[in-house]
Amino acid sequence: MTRILGVGLLTGWGAGVAALPEDARHAAGQRRIVPLARPALTGDRFRRATRESLLAVAAVDAALRDSALDRAAVAGQQTALVYVTAAAYGASNKGFIVATAGSAVRAEGGLTEMPSGSVVATSRSAVRAEGGLTEMPSGSARPYFPYTAPSAVPAEVAIEYGLTGGYVILVGGAAATVDALWQASMLLAAGRTKLALVLAVETFEECADLWARGRWTTPRPLVEAAACAVLAGPGDDLAYGPGEASALETLATRRAGETLSCAPLVGLALARAAGLPRARVTGHWRGRRAQIAVGT
Amino acid sequence: MTPVVVMAAGVATPLGLDLDTFWSALCTGVDGISAIERFQVDDLRVGRGGEIKKLRAPRQGRLPRCRASALLALAADDLLARGELSADPGRIAVVVGTALGGVEEGDRALSEGGVRVAAAGLYDSPAHALARRLRARGPVVTVSTACASGATAMGVGADLLAADAADLVIAGGYDVLCRFVMRGFDALRSLTRERVRPFDRRRSGLLLGEAAALVLMARDADMARPGLGRLLGHASSSDGSHVAAPHPEGRGLEHAVRAALAAAGISGDAVDFVSAHGTGTPLNDKIETAVLRRVLGARAGTVPVNSIKGALGHTMGAAATLEAIMCLLASRDGVVPGTAGYEEPDPACDLDVCDATRAARPRVSLSTSLGFGGCNAALLLEGAA
Repeated sequence: MTRILGVGLLTGWGAGVAALPEDARHAAGQRRIVPLARPALTGDRFRRATRESLLAVAAVDAALRDSALDRAAVAGQQTALVYVTAAAYGASNKGFIVATAGSAVRAEGGLTEMPSGSVVATSRSAVRAEGGLTEMPSGSARPYFPYTAPSAVPAEVAIEYGLTGGYVILVGGAAATVDALWQASMLLAAGRTKLALVLAVETFEECADLWARGRWTTPRPLVEAAACAVLAGPGDDLAYGPGEASALETLATRRAGETLSCAPLVGLALARAAGLPRARVTGHWRGRRAQIAVGT
Repeated sequence: MTPVVVMAAGVATPLGLDLDTFWSALCTGVDGISAIERFQVDDLRVGRGGEIKKLRAPRQGRLPRCRASALLALAADDLLARGELSADPGRIAVVVGTALGGVEEGDRALSEGGVRVAAAGLYDSPAHALARRLRARGPVVTVSTACASGATAMGVGADLLAADAADLVIAGGYDVLCRFVMRGFDALRSLTRERVRPFDRRRSGLLLGEAAALVLMARDADMARPGLGRLLGHASSSDGSHVAAPHPEGRGLEHAVRAALAAAGISGDAVDFVSAHGTGTPLNDKIETAVLRRVLGARAGTVPVNSIKGALGHTMGAAATLEAIMCLLASRDGVVPGTAGYEEPDPACDLDVCDATRAARPRVSLSTSLGFGGCNAALLLEGAA
């Protein structure tokens, strides 16, 4: 069976399981989104990195500490990286669309494109409606296009930790994270990797207006999170497939709130904190619930 | 790995909205590149690409408004004309790769209200729409390893079959030409103002295209008929070197190719044909050449290599699946399509690049893919012939 060596967990509530409230909905009060701050990682390489990329790096760092592994233990071709997100690309995509809308407006005979900096044209419709420019939040100058790809987030992790092994990126909510745990286990079972990192990141704040439109479909509060599990073992006996909601799924939602793809990893962290030797992890997304069994 | 059968394929491309038209156009040198008409490009350096000018009505159901879903619907429509989904719907999986997902809808959502438009902007929305269309109720997985997505999706699909998590898998990739991606590549100065010329001495960049490509896969042991061929092995890897540029020596790509060979249980000596990523950028083609020389050794100069991106542009998430399908059709028909735009050999790309359509019947083909984020993938395919 796949064994979890450690879980790194950062949520809008703080670091680790200890920071989670007993009831996230109650703790959030009227807040629809519980945000996570941009990690203060130093180094020139991170100058241009997005908040979600830095959160990913910080989550892996926390997972390695929880696993008592150093960087050298995961560097190279013998560590696979499986990344999942439902929506963490939203911030960079929106930022790019908004920032580059300026040139489209100019071409329509409206405005002059602003130089690259902290002030750029807002979305086309807004420009048309307001007839002017809107100041973007700090740090939102025209994004570097490759950062709009979901793959930019695990790329920063791979670069930072020297990961050059198996590499899979899945897009979806909690069910996709169960798929990711299975995919990592498949790589372990096939002997293609000795360790596997399953990483999930969700950010919501930059797209709060879009999430607000779906408030009747998305449970509240949305809690930003970044989580990473370190996996090892033979990768067999997984019981992977459809399944009913596990107690861990219910507990993770109650304690952390809606963290989308991070939810199964929150569940794993809770299982480890409770000293459970084995956990059935489930995740639900878009009408599908998947399950997998792992040793914790 | 457990080999899986590729039972059938379906496509929607600038060269044709069905497999036969696509294949015929590819072999006869039809140019799928044209001036982009669907959205504004006059403020961009380059306004050409592999645009599908007119979508046809599907045989069943309506064409979705979301263009990404529409392309997938047309590819599925073509697929279902050639293969049957003869399994319990709960055991049919959909695994689709994409670089852009529903981003065009996301763009629209910023200027239009409504939860439906916003939800359609999620990258996994087109895959779920496809699953609903096909009434597939097994795992629905969206892969986004950038321009290697179509290969990774086929690999994940094969893994689902090997793990007995599904009995049939519809796998593939898609992406649409939209203002978002054109603006991005334009800003990167990656697009050429000339012709796309993979492996040519004068190559100066890529052009983008749009397409959807799907294959129907099943476990080898479950199938009486050989279908189009088999997926023998697959692997993906990370460069761990740069967010946008490939590793300068192709470290990750080489690892993916060697891992795929190991998974297939064959050596480089067994490879009869290479469908290269071959974007036509100066760096990509040189790196791929170096990797193929290392992996294929002394045979590197004699194994036919092609790239179909000169004919229809770089179709991003669809590219690798289209190229895998091309490999299987080459085996079936004994014809390897030429590399559109390849005229003057480059000493730095000293491979046996097919400049024109060539009579050859590869048994085992290698397909390579690279993408933003240091994504690499390799597929090994065996024709049914």
